[in-house]
Amino acid sequence: MSFFDSLRQKAPFLDKLADSFTPTLTRDEKFRLKYKLPANENILEDTNAEVSFATSIKDGKGHSDRVNNKGRKTAYVYSGRLFLTPHFLVFRDAFDHSSCVLILNISTIKRVERSPSESYEFALLVTLYTGAKVLIQFIGIRYRSEQFCDKLKLNLKENIPNAKTLPAFLETSYSEFLIAKNILGKKDITVPRAGLGQHFKYPGNPTMVKEKAKLRLWFDYFRENGRNLAVVQTPMFRKLIRIGVPNRMRGEIWELCSGAMYMRYANSGEYERILNENAGKTSQAIDEIEKDLKRSLPEYSAYQTEEGIQRLRNVLTAYSWKNPDVGYCQAMNIVVAGFLIFMSEEQAFWCLCNLCDIYVPGYYSKTMYGTLLDQRVFESFVEDRMPVLWEYILQHDIQLSVVSLPWFLSLFFTSMPLEYAVRIMDIFFMNGSITLFQVALAVLKINADDILQADDDGMFIAIIKHYFQTLGQSAHPDSSDIKYRQITKFQELLVTAFKEFSVISEEMAMHARHKYEKGIFQNIETFMKRTQLRHMPKTFNLSSDDLSNIYDMFYQSIETYKISMGTGSSNMGFEVFIQFLSKFCDSCRPCEKDKDPAFRKQKRNFLQRLFDNWDSAHIGELTLNDVVTGLDKLVTVDLLQAINYFFSLYDTDGDGELHREEVLQLSEGLLLLTEPWKSGRYVDLLTKKRIEDDIAENIIKESGGEIATMNQIELPTGVTIDEEKYKVEQAERYLKAASNFLQRSFEYAKAVDLAEEVNLIDLSDDEGEEKRTVKQKQLESIKANAALDPTHPKVIDLPTFRMIILADETYELFFSNTLRSSVHVDEHVNIDNKNKVLRSMFDGILADGKRVAEQVRRRVDSVATRSSIASVESTPTAAASSITTKEEKYDDLDDFTSEHQPENEELLQSSWFEIDDANETSTKAIQERSFEPLSANSSEEKSNLIEFEA
Amino acid sequence: MNTSVTSIKLVLLGEAAVGKSSIVLRFVSNDFAENKEPTIGAAFLTQRVTINEHTVKFEIWDTAGQERFASLAPMYYRNAQAALVVYDVTKPQSFIKARHWVKELHEQASKDIIIALVGNKIDMLQEGGERKVAREEGEKLAEEKGLLFFETSAKTGENVNDVFLGIGEKIPLKTAEEQNSASNERESNNQRVDLNAANDGTSANSACSC
Repeated sequence: MSFFDSLRQKAPFLDKLADSFTPTLTRDEKFRLKYKLPANENILEDTNAEVSFATSIKDGKGHSDRVNNKGRKTAYVYSGRLFLTPHFLVFRDAFDHSSCVLILNISTIKRVERSPSESYEFALLVTLYTGAKVLIQFIGIRYRSEQFCDKLKLNLKENIPNAKTLPAFLETSYSEFLIAKNILGKKDITVPRAGLGQHFKYPGNPTMVKEKAKLRLWFDYFRENGRNLAVVQTPMFRKLIRIGVPNRMRGEIWELCSGAMYMRYANSGEYERILNENAGKTSQAIDEIEKDLKRSLPEYSAYQTEEGIQRLRNVLTAYSWKNPDVGYCQAMNIVVAGFLIFMSEEQAFWCLCNLCDIYVPGYYSKTMYGTLLDQRVFESFVEDRMPVLWEYILQHDIQLSVVSLPWFLSLFFTSMPLEYAVRIMDIFFMNGSITLFQVALAVLKINADDILQADDDGMFIAIIKHYFQTLGQSAHPDSSDIKYRQITKFQELLVTAFKEFSVISEEMAMHARHKYEKGIFQNIETFMKRTQLRHMPKTFNLSSDDLSNIYDMFYQSIETYKISMGTGSSNMGFEVFIQFLSKFCDSCRPCEKDKDPAFRKQKRNFLQRLFDNWDSAHIGELTLNDVVTGLDKLVTVDLLQAINYFFSLYDTDGDGELHREEVLQLSEGLLLLTEPWKSGRYVDLLTKKRIEDDIAENIIKESGGEIATMNQIELPTGVTIDEEKYKVEQAERYLKAASNFLQRSFEYAKAVDLAEEVNLIDLSDDEGEEKRTVKQKQLESIKANAALDPTHPKVIDLPTFRMIILADETYELFFSNTLRSSVHVDEHVNIDNKNKVLRSMFDGILADGKRVAEQVRRRVDSVATRSSIASVESTPTAAASSITTKEEKYDDLDDFTSEHQPENEELLQSSWFEIDDANETSTKAIQERSFEPLSANSSEEKSNLIEFEA
Repeated sequence: MNTSVTSIKLVLLGEAAVGKSSIVLRFVSNDFAENKEPTIGAAFLTQRVTINEHTVKFEIWDTAGQERFASLAPMYYRNAQAALVVYDVTKPQSFIKARHWVKELHEQASKDIIIALVGNKIDMLQEGGERKVAREEGEKLAEEKGLLFFETSAKTGENVNDVFLGIGEKIPLKTAEEQNSASNERESNNQRVDLNAANDGTSANSACSC
């Protein structure tokens, strides 16, 4: 997995692979899936073996000829593979993996002994709780067999506490009841608590004779092959399921086939615990469940009683607590209502768990991606198997999903009469979700002739509805052959589904899911994004494009959350928040100074403050709406609002005043936020203006004051900008602003009455150099200003704070522009995509060169009109020295004066040296790009001129 | 009677358990079921009515209300000419949801879709239920967004037919102008819904066969 993670960081597109609906299963996962074992049952050992079974029952009724003289049965010997997991012993034959499948929970093992064997070196005789014996003859190297036995011994030892729970568990089993009553002659034994059908009758009109005959068959099977936690599944087992499980056995067989029984045994008491722990709590899922309780199989009499409703409520709410990612989805109520007719609450609960996890993953998830995907897969099957019908459906614009979606989602429970739906469920739990496809295809196939006459959705639906309502009728009512006439439509459906469409395999479904999942996920993500953007809080400063961009960045950051699957938390924790901001906020980007632990600490402090401010629900997590609202405030175009907001970040008690400690923290925050400009990683508008002024000044000098008309202006051909100089100037300006800020803060602070001991001097230890200078200055200010005497506490209020900020050109600009433009919500950030980063930097340089040239030209315009004033205007520093003309670089420059581009304000605000070590490149780029020969377009310039004068 | 039939594709949207399916059942079968199973995915029903001597066939797509089914909705409101956005007058949350649906329809559905905002379950007010969404609130939203507005009870049948009638009246004006130009003399007092489908009570699909 770590390998995959590292790959993922390198190539974001691989993320898609990780999201895959069906990631390649490991051997253990495949094994668990096949035998429906709980999640921790990994294969510990496996070996080739031959296995034979002997039942203990000496009731004389064994009419098989497999009973030898001694009364002990000898049975077939199966050759195959034996697996050991922490709690199971699983054997499957080598022939077709289904002639003999033994799934044995080791709690059922009473004794294990070495058995003398003539033909094998190594054999174990396993005695079960029923007295039945399993003879395991190991094939292979001796020491491997020994190893297997040692592991088994160990497991058995560790399992002793579990084994003690077996008798209580078996009391809940109908098969045990059946055996106990009929073989052991316990007539007074009570029927284990089962489904609602026990009291409210089972659906349909099963003739008692048939039900009894079926029970008899199962009784025989259990006696011969074991049952519940220790059962051998043979082809007979599956045959008995196909002919229809008797109602009284149904709950247990579903539970067994689905593996829910293993979950219930391994998690004894869990269901009760979940219910008790969450008693009285409410949630959205609970509200939704309540709405549907009376709407679940309402025609079944138990669901018109409080008892039935209560059971349904318990199971659904317990599941919503167990798996909050899914919570509750309509259709689950119907499915569970179906389960509860045959199962106890606890059985139904675990059955629902395995249904959602193993059988139909994603069907009931918040985005229902599994449902959407399987509908697409189903359509592809229809297209493939019944092309004529498919063509017809397309032509007549019939929505296939209108009928098929409820089949899949409620497992035919609402579509067919209950008595038939449960027969489908018998097979579903045995064969898996492919059953749904097979039955659905068969329904269409059988009704194809009628459907081909339907010309709209209404008729199509009517045909299917009629069909389901007449499932009990003869499939061939007009046949002369009485036997033929006796075949019901339902029998015909089963034959079509499981004979004709047996070619539709689980593998085919998996393959098709792989094929369509990408498209489905994309649709879901588009839909989710659209919906969420629509529900965003009102923003004043962020455009809808910005919101879309923030949405993308937000969900890219929360890796655990899968939009399309609707799983995981969609909230942002603090660490992720830091990562998130570092992607598009210049002040939060990783930088050199991060190496300084003091700086890192300050950064974290500030971000924590911001995070807490945004965290509207005070849950230590941000929702997307929190982030949007927060960013909207951060990038406000209103200078005063920006200042107010910053003030409020520090005024945590909201009293409108900042105390000394708060002022110090605020100044730290300011230092931190302005760090990228102080260190020269970015330039602000003031510096930019300086550069432009200097260039213009230089040009005027070059021309020697002889500019008469626009046409005569010639720009110098190459200019080097003394980058270092501007950087130093800017840094000084920011430092000065910081120190001025502190000084003024304390100068203008108002005195408060209550005395407050703050030791300013103490703060200077363990600080970075930057900080120390500031502290030094603070100290100086304190000395210089009596008002700052720490023994006389002062506060500053918002108007004072505003005044102080506005008094400083740099800080004023910072709040009016620099900060806002350093938050790049408009820039689409592609995580870890280095190419993109490089390219945008280069674009920045390129555009900036043009920009400078534009400004120069404008400058010249203004100089041309007011040449005398120009020199006064430009800053009287040694600007000229920073610009040197280089004639030799004159040659191959583009003439771009003809394309008078509108200024791109965004590009204007990006810097000319975004990355320190790229200085050379950027300087060079400016040299080449900035000063190009300018042959002014006179008419255009004139119009500028007029405007200017006016 | 005019022989041409105008088909109107109509979709119902709204929060779970506000009575979407019940409104349809009342309109199509003049029936009411107390505990109707939730709609899974969507249901499709049709009903013919005569408006101004013109036969209108409603093709009604009734959708599932639970939030997570919302991603299926575009499949059903695609090409719809009309929509009922339904809320429960005793559940404020359902009104918020109705707002969202109106927004979604205006953004995603066909441009000239006729939307009717329907506050259902007014019968509960007589039975001691407390009104949580004022009539004025609904009217205001309807006015702002240009929707038809009704308050109905699927249980008693109050106003239900008027909703469909209202929609039916608006649509032929728009789409069937050419084919209907002759019959433009509208007898305003003669507008009746003719529930011509005799229902056998089994299900709504009986209406499809007519």
